[in-house]
Amino acid sequence: MFKQFTEDVSGNQVYLLSALGIFLLFFIVVTILLIRLRKQHIDHMSALPLQDSDINSPNIL
Amino acid sequence: MQPEKFYYDNKIVRNFGIATVVWGIIGMTVGLIIAMQLYHPAMNMGNQYTTFGRIRPLHTNAVIFAFVGNAIFMGVYYSLQRLLKARMFSDTLSWIHFWGWQLIIIGAVITLPLGLTTSHEYAELEWPIDIAITIIWLVFGFNMFGTIFKRRERHLYVAIWFYIATFVTVAVLHIVNSVELPVSAWKSYYVFAGVQDALVQWWYGHNAVAFFLTTPYLGMMYYFLPKMANRPIYSYKLSILHFWALIFIYIWAGPHHLLYTPLPGWAQSLGVAFSIMLIAPSWGGMINGLLTLRGAWDKVRDDVVLKFMVVGLTAYGMATFEGPMLALKQINAVAHFTDWIIAHVHVGALGWNGFLTFAILYWLIPRIYKTELFSKKLASFHFWIGTLGILFYVVPMYWSGFTQGLMLKEFTPEGMLKYPNFLETTLRILPMHVMRSIGGGMYLFGVLVMTYNLTRTMLQGKLVANEAAQAMPLEPIDSVAKESSWHRTLERKPIQLMVAALLVILVGTFVELMPTMTISSNVPTIASVKPYTPLELQGRDLYIREGCSNCHSQTIRPFRSETERYGEYSKAGEFVYDHPFLWGSKRTGPDLARIGGKYGNAWHYNHLMDPRLMSPGSIMPNYDWLLTQTLDTTSTIPKINAMRKLGVPYAVGYEKVANRDLDKQAQGIADNLYLDHIKVASNKEIIAIIAYLQRMGTDIKASKTITK
Repeated sequence: MFKQFTEDVSGNQVYLLSALGIFLLFFIVVTILLIRLRKQHIDHMSALPLQDSDINSPNIL
Repeated sequence: MQPEKFYYDNKIVRNFGIATVVWGIIGMTVGLIIAMQLYHPAMNMGNQYTTFGRIRPLHTNAVIFAFVGNAIFMGVYYSLQRLLKARMFSDTLSWIHFWGWQLIIIGAVITLPLGLTTSHEYAELEWPIDIAITIIWLVFGFNMFGTIFKRRERHLYVAIWFYIATFVTVAVLHIVNSVELPVSAWKSYYVFAGVQDALVQWWYGHNAVAFFLTTPYLGMMYYFLPKMANRPIYSYKLSILHFWALIFIYIWAGPHHLLYTPLPGWAQSLGVAFSIMLIAPSWGGMINGLLTLRGAWDKVRDDVVLKFMVVGLTAYGMATFEGPMLALKQINAVAHFTDWIIAHVHVGALGWNGFLTFAILYWLIPRIYKTELFSKKLASFHFWIGTLGILFYVVPMYWSGFTQGLMLKEFTPEGMLKYPNFLETTLRILPMHVMRSIGGGMYLFGVLVMTYNLTRTMLQGKLVANEAAQAMPLEPIDSVAKESSWHRTLERKPIQLMVAALLVILVGTFVELMPTMTISSNVPTIASVKPYTPLELQGRDLYIREGCSNCHSQTIRPFRSETERYGEYSKAGEFVYDHPFLWGSKRTGPDLARIGGKYGNAWHYNHLMDPRLMSPGSIMPNYDWLLTQTLDTTSTIPKINAMRKLGVPYAVGYEKVANRDLDKQAQGIADNLYLDHIKVASNKEIIAIIAYLQRMGTDIKASKTITK
């Protein structure tokens, strides 16, 4: 099933490998960003749609 | 600090809502008509303005850009104001946006039946309308960013990132895929040709699905689903992860629309690899939506709005699993060009886009009219007839796709094609087409019931055009403590967020498009391929006008079942003068890449006049107006000039004698027809289209020398 990926691309593996490399790097960066987020912030963000006219919610967190 | 008072603009939301419903009914009705044309040619209504080839683009444009487009703006204008705790930036811009968009749609409704089309799927509108779309899209973006800048909520909720990514990516896609050289007020040629044009078009086409039908709807899901279920989204972290992954990966997947075509193999493989990766972020979004309802499934039983959401999300999950499967070369070999693809897109369009739109309309209209929904029973009826309609639509289409895909590939034990006549496979699937139109009719009936229900709801309530709200103003930025993470910082910087999203989508765009555009070895040229003669060029433009490529492909894949049926497989070098490429994406009729020389001129004449004379049972409409309409040769000079500008090697000054060559070739065809007792003047359109059909694919029959 995966023969096509190795056979059809003679001399062009560099495209596939660099694409995979770029994606992995990108994925790792996003994961690091996510790990660094604080729970308090996450809770505030996910509550945003539910508090249309809640005038008491603080605007800086 | 005192809370500030302000008003949400509900009127613009209501206007987009009404437009959604009106265009939805129109778009789906046209869909039902073209579905019936496929088993009952009389439904083409005997005139050129309502043939399948011309109004199929009307259906797709109306459903994508009018129905879904207006629904997006309805959802964005409602949720954006509330998530930012601010009224839209400018009522004037909102007004221009609304009416501008409706005028563009009316422009499409007028020009597409007239045959004014560029032939690029989902981008058929000619250059003046392309410019209008760009302007109105920028008005929308300006209004959105203006609102973001005057917001009273520091951080941008994930729904707004989806809106920002939608805005910036659709702008890039639309502009790049609309680079055309105008020939006259309503005619243009794409700057790219052949393989390159195909690559640009399907990079656009695939990402129109991604950034018009998917990302804005995911944004709407992230706002409306928590509201409807009255609980926060299941995982905010998952929403961030799948946002970045989705926009990054989607942009690479376009070439899976061009598998086994002359597109370079590496680009095809790249498209396949990224298509498979797409399952992860797509399902991330679906799972995040469905799990938001955890512990609230009892509500789904009673609440019709949540029922629509659950079926819509499930359809999204099914379509986004099926997409990567269809991108596998082995499956694509059978499925591509068949009704399987029609089934696939309608799971997405009817299930995901349709049902989410209905859910939002049922939820939102009573709220902005400060009333209850007129009838929950009718809404429930709509849900069931809509769901059944989807099933009655897609199941026959899957069946039809498998049947025809396999029949076309079947050989006898002696090694001959089992069904050498394409028409035999068409006739076999007609019952499935009848059932499909019943499913579509049920779905449309559900929409009509919804329209009645919503109209009664509006009549019993009163629109709160300006809804009062209040929120604390934002404190000056220097009093805000330093953010603890990069991403949190990004969440309050809209421009940086837009630039980040833009960079992310440009990575895939450049890796994919640039090599094919710049490295000449990716498109090997063929010495015997010559530019079209003026008459063939005019004929080709008639082929575009009539929308022939909606049913006939022009690319033969390298399978024995296709080379036996159609002839030598297509090579990249054959298409270097094709502005635009006309490979098509669906074979309702046979491939035409090597039709040239296969039949005599008289056969084509009779076949275009009434296809059933030559192919009994054919479902192709009559094209009898080609016999009587006179070819407009005043456009020959600007067309030759435009083609030369685009790099087609017509000699300098050739435009001055082009019409002389045109007349000579036309007279030759008319004389040849006369031998078969057909009397036709050489200046009729039929002569030009015959010239084009007889040219197609013949370059390579003449010589097979391929030079790198």
